[in-house]
Amino acid sequence: MNNSVIQAVNLTKVYNKGGGGEVYAVHDVSLEIQKGEYVAIMGASGSGKSTLMNILGCLDKPTGGSLKLDDVEVGTLTDEELARVRNRKIGFVFQSFNLLARTNALENVELPLIYSDRTDITRLAREALVSVGLADRIHHNPGELSGGQQQRVAIARALVTDPEIIFADEPTGNLDTRSSLEIMSLFQQLNAKGRTIVLVTHEADISEHARRIIKIADGRIISDEVNSQPRDAGREMSALVSKEVPNENR
Amino acid sequence: MKTGRVLKVAFKGLGRNKLRTFLMMIGIVIGITALTLVVSAGMGAQDRIMERVKKFGLESMMVFAGAGREMGQPTAGQPATSLKLEDAVAMKQEVRAIADVAPFNQKRQADVKFQDKSTTTMVFGVTPSWAPVWDWDAAEGDFISDEDLTGLARVCVLGPTVKRELFGTANPIGEQLRIGNVQFEIKGVMQAKGTSPAGGDMDNRIYIPLTTLMRRVTNVDYISNIKVRLTTAKDMDKTAASIQALLRERHKLAPGTPDDFTITTPTEVTKMAEKVAGTFNIFLALVAAISLISGGVVVANIMLISVNERRKEIGLRKAVGAQRKDIMLQFLYEATAVTLTGGVIGIILGAIGAKILEAITQMPTSISWESVALGVVFSSLVGIIAGLQPARRAAALQPIEAMRA
Repeated sequence: MNNSVIQAVNLTKVYNKGGGGEVYAVHDVSLEIQKGEYVAIMGASGSGKSTLMNILGCLDKPTGGSLKLDDVEVGTLTDEELARVRNRKIGFVFQSFNLLARTNALENVELPLIYSDRTDITRLAREALVSVGLADRIHHNPGELSGGQQQRVAIARALVTDPEIIFADEPTGNLDTRSSLEIMSLFQQLNAKGRTIVLVTHEADISEHARRIIKIADGRIISDEVNSQPRDAGREMSALVSKEVPNENR
Repeated sequence: MKTGRVLKVAFKGLGRNKLRTFLMMIGIVIGITALTLVVSAGMGAQDRIMERVKKFGLESMMVFAGAGREMGQPTAGQPATSLKLEDAVAMKQEVRAIADVAPFNQKRQADVKFQDKSTTTMVFGVTPSWAPVWDWDAAEGDFISDEDLTGLARVCVLGPTVKRELFGTANPIGEQLRIGNVQFEIKGVMQAKGTSPAGGDMDNRIYIPLTTLMRRVTNVDYISNIKVRLTTAKDMDKTAASIQALLRERHKLAPGTPDDFTITTPTEVTKMAEKVAGTFNIFLALVAAISLISGGVVVANIMLISVNERRKEIGLRKAVGAQRKDIMLQFLYEATAVTLTGGVIGIILGAIGAKILEAITQMPTSISWESVALGVVFSSLVGIIAGLQPARRAAALQPIEAMRA
């Protein structure tokens, strides 16, 4: 019984530059991710980590190598089949939230379900929003929510289809420290419940919340280590709050 | 289920940008309004033709003095003098298909006086056969009789309008009135016939014996028309040909010279009127088509801009699992919903416009299911055609490219 959700072998993404030059955004990357893992892919900007995530998330196609998601080879799938895989097996969280403007939280979370075969989409979307702690913000538009709340709507949208894997691309990139910790804490809670999470970041302290850290440079994996003592975002947040509380009470 | 949800997405997209939606719609509204107006006017004209033909009678034809005459057209210049009373008598005797003939002549403007009241009316010189041929008799008193005709009697029958003008509700029968300087005794009042297809009041007339008109009023030896009633509506063209041959022989026209009379049959009337209405309609339909096309171009343009502006939204939808088909349908639905809504508004405005047009110009219009169906079909078609290319472009976007924008 194979328990891996991602099996990548020699993944490569080459861009042709003018004049015959080639640029390797992803170079011979092989990795395996098991169900229930919380993996951070870390690298500087331009290291190829986002391209790798896009390929793993079926948003982009590799130019070489093979990729199995949930034991299904996706390298040979058509655009339509890939769309179905993204819809059923993958949830995305982006740096800039990517919520539809002038559309309330509930409808934003319903978005992936519109393209699924589910019929009870409003109930599922409501449950997802409740699970990220936004029960009282269901009918608010993105413009009426804080950055942290907007990102939680985006996480609810990623969760609503009950996917195998959640990909988060710099999810704290646009947030302040406290909101970042809130989001990281939410990911840790989800992972504790068994959700597989792949987090892409360039910040070392954010990556330290994950239980496994893969470092990327120039399109190659330079290290892949288990993080035996991940930082606890929930505790960090309480520490931050307790520092503030005396000030507020004074 | 899923299709319904994509449809809902399309409507929400339209609601989110009302100005854009309005701008897309306005051209279609104008186009469909024009189209509805044109079709209503066309249908109205057709109704009028049928009404005209029915009033004239399907088993009838008309012989006019002079070449190239048409129904309901006033004589220009000198009146034609070629047609004589004897021609009518000969036609009835020699052409077998003719059941009866009603020769007549008219004085277009005559002053009529009764005591201190006066009015202007048309005076028709007719024979007793007028009543059966036109199916139009006296309602009170009597119509012109054979004795009146042979005796050149100074008797007249009033149209209801003339009666109302001069006598009000009083009984005119037996009274004397003056047509010009000649005194006539009133012997009857005609049945009301209302407005003629050309718009004139068919009841503002006075009928006198044809012989009396020719000798005592207009002092001429010719008549203007012979209305012919046939035994059957069949072989209309054959009968027209034998009348033509007879009249050419009687008028001693050499072969090659044109007729000095005109024969009009109901089919000819219909064709003529349709030709006039057809030219008019082609012109207006062209205007409607041009405004629809420009409306469609506007929709296509704004949809293209909209697709470009919403690359991010499209990318997101694809990232979370929308298929090409879903995106394609979303934008096609948006375009079609706009044009169809514009079309329905256009149909309503067009119908209102047709009624206003009718009130102002007296031109009959007719809102039919055809004009509504045309409006719905054309507006949907414009939406689908205008939306196709923008929708394709949106559907072809790669999720990753669109996300970067």
